[in-house]
Amino acid sequence: MTDQNMMIPVLTKLSALTGALFLLTAFALVVIRQVIACLRIYRFQSFLLALSAVILGYQYFSIHLFVVAAITLAVKSILIPWHIRRTVRHEIYALREISLAINIPTSLLIAVAIAILAYFVASPLLAAAGGGFEKINLPVGLAGLFLGAYTVTVRRMAVPQIIGLLAMENGAFFAGVSIAAGLPLVAELAAAFDILIVAIVTGLLTRMIHERIGTTTVGEMTALREE
Amino acid sequence: MINKIFFNVIQVLVVLAFAPLIKGVFNRLKENVQSKRGPSIFQPYRDIWKLFHKDEVVSEQSSWIFRITPYMVFITPIFVALLIPVLTGYPLFFAFMGDMLGGGFILALGGFFATLAAIDTGNPYGAMGASRTRMVGFLAEPVFMIVFFTVSFVAGSTIPYIVQKHWVTPLSNFFEPSHILLMLAFLMLIIAETGRIPVDNPSGHFELAMIDESKGLEYSGRGAALMKWGSSMRFFVLSCIFLNVLVTPWGLALGETYQEVFLAVPLVLLKILAFVLVLVVIESSLAKLRLFRITEFLGAAFATSVLAMISGLLQM
Amino acid sequence: MELLYILVITALALGASMIPAGRKFPPAVTFLGALAVFVLSVITAVKTINGGEVVAIKDWLSCDSFGALILLLVAFVGLAAAVFSWGYMAKFVDPGDDRKMRRYYVLYNLFLLSMQAVPILSQVALVWIAVELTTLLSVFLVSFEQTPEALEAAWKYVVLTCMGAAFALFGILVLYWGMSVAADYPFTWAGLMIASPKISPAFLNTAFFFILIGFGTKVGLVPLHTWLPDAHSQAPSPICALLSGIETTAVLYAIMRLLPMFQNGSASYASMWFVIFGLISVGVAAFLLIQAKDYKRLFAFSTVEHMGIILVAAGLGGHDAHFGATLQIVSHTVTKSFCFFAAGATLLATGSREIASVRGLIRTSPSTGVFLTIGGLAISGAPPFAVFLSEFSILKAGIASGQYIVTGLLALFIVIAFFGIMFQINRMVFGKPSTVSSKAAVPMTCIITLILMVIPVILFGLYIPETLLRLLHLAASSLGR
Repeated sequence: MTDQNMMIPVLTKLSALTGALFLLTAFALVVIRQVIACLRIYRFQSFLLALSAVILGYQYFSIHLFVVAAITLAVKSILIPWHIRRTVRHEIYALREISLAINIPTSLLIAVAIAILAYFVASPLLAAAGGGFEKINLPVGLAGLFLGAYTVTVRRMAVPQIIGLLAMENGAFFAGVSIAAGLPLVAELAAAFDILIVAIVTGLLTRMIHERIGTTTVGEMTALREE
Repeated sequence: MINKIFFNVIQVLVVLAFAPLIKGVFNRLKENVQSKRGPSIFQPYRDIWKLFHKDEVVSEQSSWIFRITPYMVFITPIFVALLIPVLTGYPLFFAFMGDMLGGGFILALGGFFATLAAIDTGNPYGAMGASRTRMVGFLAEPVFMIVFFTVSFVAGSTIPYIVQKHWVTPLSNFFEPSHILLMLAFLMLIIAETGRIPVDNPSGHFELAMIDESKGLEYSGRGAALMKWGSSMRFFVLSCIFLNVLVTPWGLALGETYQEVFLAVPLVLLKILAFVLVLVVIESSLAKLRLFRITEFLGAAFATSVLAMISGLLQM
Repeated sequence: MELLYILVITALALGASMIPAGRKFPPAVTFLGALAVFVLSVITAVKTINGGEVVAIKDWLSCDSFGALILLLVAFVGLAAAVFSWGYMAKFVDPGDDRKMRRYYVLYNLFLLSMQAVPILSQVALVWIAVELTTLLSVFLVSFEQTPEALEAAWKYVVLTCMGAAFALFGILVLYWGMSVAADYPFTWAGLMIASPKISPAFLNTAFFFILIGFGTKVGLVPLHTWLPDAHSQAPSPICALLSGIETTAVLYAIMRLLPMFQNGSASYASMWFVIFGLISVGVAAFLLIQAKDYKRLFAFSTVEHMGIILVAAGLGGHDAHFGATLQIVSHTVTKSFCFFAAGATLLATGSREIASVRGLIRTSPSTGVFLTIGGLAISGAPPFAVFLSEFSILKAGIASGQYIVTGLLALFIVIAFFGIMFQINRMVFGKPSTVSSKAAVPMTCIITLILMVIPVILFGLYIPETLLRLLHLAASSLGR
């Protein structure tokens, strides 16, 4: 990305704001009990991702990034939640996760530690070639990635685990819009399509599990463990 | 110089005079949102007037703490009102007497006395409410500390007037991520400290479930009037800190003329009205949290404030 | 051009499998498609030996020797599994249920398509997408039998590997960033090779670590392997052969491609981590093998072990060790698919998955017993089978390059695994026959597949054809610099 010397300060602050809100949604996904609230937070997070792409596209005058934003909005904010709602109806509307593996305040503390870890991992990269926007997007995206992984491990129901997966990809893309904005458009399209397939496959699998086993608390399916 | 002393006194008078009005507006708006008519907005004044003219009944088993508490609860917000920006954007005469941390401690002093007094009379509901208040307070303390720390770090000072300047002058500073997150954390704090839904139900009559209201249960006559007035002033002062320093640091008097200062009064009231509206919406749409879920609520506030601190420290 | 044809033919077979034209039609079409693809991949491999890269669309679809090797293996196992499925699925799917049969072959072709794409695509970002797709398109194959265990296995499979894929995505994005900061080359394997000396080490190291962990989840490296025994045992046996035999190897190919970018200094960062992760995987798998209760799980743990061995070989460095790695890839693919075919035949013959309930197989179903024994011996590294030769060459290269501790540990773990596998197989094949009713006779196509597969397993232990040898050497040289 060619370095733009004049970076509009308001854009920088807006981008920082988007990053902070993104981080907040990643935290929220770890602890929110209601499943439908998780889905709504995911929509908001995808919206923030698209917003960040728009801000960066505006700064760098890159149509490419606007297209990425449009694809993100269409696929992640609209298509995927619609599909999950359609396929996994019962779980979304009826359930809350009553017992989490780790209680919420402890989870939040661990999440804070993970976010700090993400900053530390990102700092050598930023020292090597940190520009303006990467300083925000890279650590936040990495934190989103780690927090999504943490969400998947801590949650016991199927749909929050799926949303944690999707949030991980969101985090990777959030970092990606600033550091790898020059990827061929085909790759971006294919990646979005691929994530749609992830949602479709996991949604269908959840429905199958619900039909066969009767519950979607996948954390309790331990029939295959032997050691 | 003399002007500044006068402005300070005017500031305190404004807080004294308008705090019950804000409480009345709050109650009425809450009823209106629920399609009810609601009491008059001047009702708290009438209540305080009535209570001042009634006899006071004090338990023989209680100690001096019980007697002194209404005065403490009344005076502490007044002291804090001397320190914070209520009407003016520049520091007044007493502004450097204490910073935000000092103000926080003074407010906490009033709460401390109220809690002790609640146990003093031997009423079991008082003791229950007192222990619950302490739990909420103890969980909220770290959030307070981190919020103050971040604010001071970002702005470079602990005096509220100087902090407020930081967010006024370069407008882009307003959109700093640490700022937005701080606003969120402080909002959750105010909800917890003033005992609003989702932490506590201020209009509940069920003593078994009371957290904040139980502090005023035993008082009558003049003591009750002072407690009511004091708690509404506390809300006013906390909102002033929240609004004038963090959320809307504009609209304060910048010159040293009387006109500007008097002009600032309705502006401040307007800002607090808007804030009251937001709180009413929150109150009417959420349900009260179960007692042990309050830890989760305050844990979320803590995480938000820590995020604000991280983003402020790393200068995003 | 062949590369394009390969993809197109598989897509055509996919489309044809959807046509409701009777029970025999999808398997036949799939078999023909797989055969054509195999022939094309042989042609591609020969071309890479003679002329270097095979290019269909520059910077998008191309194949060098290492890629051609993987493509050849994918096509080979795809063909064998297609033949095996013909008879096997005919037993498992009820006679009236044509839709289920079609569904199986549609999913099968989709899975094959995604696996063929991994070595053919040259843009690294697209390779990531292909790897993701190999997972997603095989989920429903893993859960094909719709039992609660199969669904649980499929869930763990999809969740864990997608988590890994997200980590790998981040690593690839960082790699792209590093390359775009340093120079302006296309983001292909070849472009990365040219640009890598200029990329700052912070980028390379971080990207490497994330890609290793991310794709390592798919390969089954410990401690991210927990899904592998479940998924690779609950799937129908021909799918297990595909998954264990070639899918994990294809992803390992993607990881190993990173190695030549680090050749500044002998004990480089990448080699060290390869050796560490590889040794841990081999060791843990060897111990976990011992207490496996289901024979397909036994073979799945063995896959983890072999992936570890290949990784260690790649990390040992030097042309001989790399040659050992590529030879191990070939021998493992051929042998592991054979083992799973034998396991499938055993399941048909005895109707039970558990080791404890299968006894005296040599008496109840002699052919199955023989094949299972050969499989067990071959995969645990007994001479004169292929795996023995490759493991031996790895150990020899390790000693020659002076890394005694690593080689010693590797040898120890291999011996432990050998005893673990042979103990269980022994119990199953010999001994008094248990009173488990023999389910069905093993279909002819399955036996044909088994016989055909056993030929390379034995052959490659004794003699490797000249062209294959040259291909392996070329592939190994692309690992080093």
